Amino acid sequence: MSAQATGPETLGSLSDEPEITDPNSAQAKEISGKSPFQIAMARLRRDKIALVCAAVVLFFILVAIFADLIAKAFGVSLDTVTACDVLECNFAEPGVGYPKTGPPFHSFDPEHPFGLAPRTGADNLAHWVYGCRTSLLIAGAATLFSSVVGIVVGLVSGFAGGVVDKILSFITDFFLTIPFLLAALTIAPIIIDRFGTSDSYETIQIGSLILILSMFGWMTVARLIRGEVLSLREREFIHAARVLGMPTWRILFKELLPNLTAPIVISISLMLPAFVAAEAGLAFLGIGVTGSASWGQTIANAVPYWSNYAAFLWQPLIGVVALVLSLNLLGDAVRDAFDPKTRR
Amino acid sequence: MFAYVVKRLLSGVVVLFLISMSVFLLFWYGPSEPAQTICDRDTSNRCTPARLEVFRENLGFNNPWYEEYGTFMKGVVAGREIQFGSTKVFECPAPCLGYSYRTKAPVFEEMKDRMPATFSVAIGGAFLYLTLGIPIGVAAARRRGTVTDKALVSSFLVISSIPYYLFALLTWLFLTISWEIPLFSETGYFPITENPAKWFSGMALAWFALGAFGCTTYTRYSRGSMVEVLNEDYIRTAKAKGLRDNTVVYKHALRSALVPVITIFGIEFGTLLAGTIFTERIFNIDGIGLWALQAVNQRDLPVVAATALFGAAVLIISNIVVDVIYSVLDPRVRLS
Repeated sequence: MSAQATGPETLGSLSDEPEITDPNSAQAKEISGKSPFQIAMARLRRDKIALVCAAVVLFFILVAIFADLIAKAFGVSLDTVTACDVLECNFAEPGVGYPKTGPPFHSFDPEHPFGLAPRTGADNLAHWVYGCRTSLLIAGAATLFSSVVGIVVGLVSGFAGGVVDKILSFITDFFLTIPFLLAALTIAPIIIDRFGTSDSYETIQIGSLILILSMFGWMTVARLIRGEVLSLREREFIHAARVLGMPTWRILFKELLPNLTAPIVISISLMLPAFVAAEAGLAFLGIGVTGSASWGQTIANAVPYWSNYAAFLWQPLIGVVALVLSLNLLGDAVRDAFDPKTRR
Repeated sequence: MFAYVVKRLLSGVVVLFLISMSVFLLFWYGPSEPAQTICDRDTSNRCTPARLEVFRENLGFNNPWYEEYGTFMKGVVAGREIQFGSTKVFECPAPCLGYSYRTKAPVFEEMKDRMPATFSVAIGGAFLYLTLGIPIGVAAARRRGTVTDKALVSSFLVISSIPYYLFALLTWLFLTISWEIPLFSETGYFPITENPAKWFSGMALAWFALGAFGCTTYTRYSRGSMVEVLNEDYIRTAKAKGLRDNTVVYKHALRSALVPVITIFGIEFGTLLAGTIFTERIFNIDGIGLWALQAVNQRDLPVVAATALFGAAVLIISNIVVDVIYSVLDPRVRLS
């Protein structure tokens, strides 16, 4: 403003050109040539809450990836121990069933920074770190699978139209009417029955959990994508591609898919926290992961010890809440950044 | 209108039929030996192949599945007899959803006993979050952009980002276990006909948890839709006519702002009626959700199947009701 006031008056008032003080300024350069994705990323970078949440999420991802290293660095492991070696087994003592060292009745024990679990004597840090891995592994894989299924179903039903669209839409609606929790509850005993005695039970359990979560996660993506494709299908560039004789699969994946970045990113941002919460919730109910470490399972185990040993419950609980909360808030910021309609 | 309702009902029946068949097939082909559980239980873990064969024959596992599915559906409509072991024959009146492997009672009878608990939780919780959520949402929409509005919206966003079951669990741990608040001292279901005061105090905490958590979502919905409606031309007209602010908001705006909120509510209420599994587990309320969970742990398969069917049926019915109400409120829906 001050530059204009001091400059030659004639230029400012007579010119019809848009008011760009200096065509080579940083601002002018920034405007030119940015994809919607870049604009969204720039918006995200300005969002402080999003940055903090992204840092928290990154922390959990690193913990999950380097779970083995972290456990080794602290000298802890998931190995089962003879309970009486580390727990108070003398019924005459006051803290029977609780660990001999560390919280809740003794001072900090450097060998087990998070303390030990009562009754089993398992190391809490190891369970926390591997629980983080289980959680992110299941949520990530389920997000990946349901996105792929949702994108394919949405693309095909939106683009093909007619009978194909009718059938796929009916299947989508059908899955939407099934309550997820009840479905998980129904499938759980059958998986236990089939594979409960198998050696690779842990792997099968995690795999089936990913399958169940994906089975009930793809519908929203499919709907979102289908709606978007319906509006894109009649646009000029698709007609042009058709007239040029482009094969359908290329139209779908080269022309349509790049235009669907926003809905895909949005649905991923919705799915990830939901799946983390669902995994922990199912484990809490005892119908999710039982074979390996899981936050929800630890929370369920810790409830009876709440009065004496609250830290045992707080550790996994803070893990779940911090991860889900930051994923949700980050997702919210991402949705705002990718939505051209939001005013900031 | 009539044609629309009939169309919705028909499609609901088709979906219910498909779901019942999927559940039936899941429990037919899913378990490696479907009669094993009941045989183990009935013979106190001395199940010989010969006895297993008797159970297989009695429960119809030797027949093709479609025949048995027919028998099952006939039982739902007209009732049937179920034979366990060689001599025991049980009468299962309609709607027969099978016999519980554990208690040897008709599944539907047991379900009826548990419905009041689930319905109490669902109705009380839903009432609380609607009566809290909508007024707060409307108030926030009227103060849009102010500090109060922003603080409310962001704090509610944080609360609703926490998984519900952790919120409920912490509520229970703090209010009942740590602070020992007398009203919440004994959570659980006590029949209202026997002791209304005890029923109320047993349910109060579950309602509070559901209401406090649920109202955050409804505040956001109703705030959003209220903000939209308040920008409409007819609201400006009403204001220009010189109507009082409260009249404009509560008489003109609220009516149309509530339409989308009620739709979401209807579907969510159906989910609640289908079994509030987390709430029942945490507050130890002996409803359908907890029953299903226990049945899973004891591999009482007919009970699990029945709760799944019940849940799906309730959800489908509530979907239809919502659609019909919506078509009454908004004529554009049924005409399209």
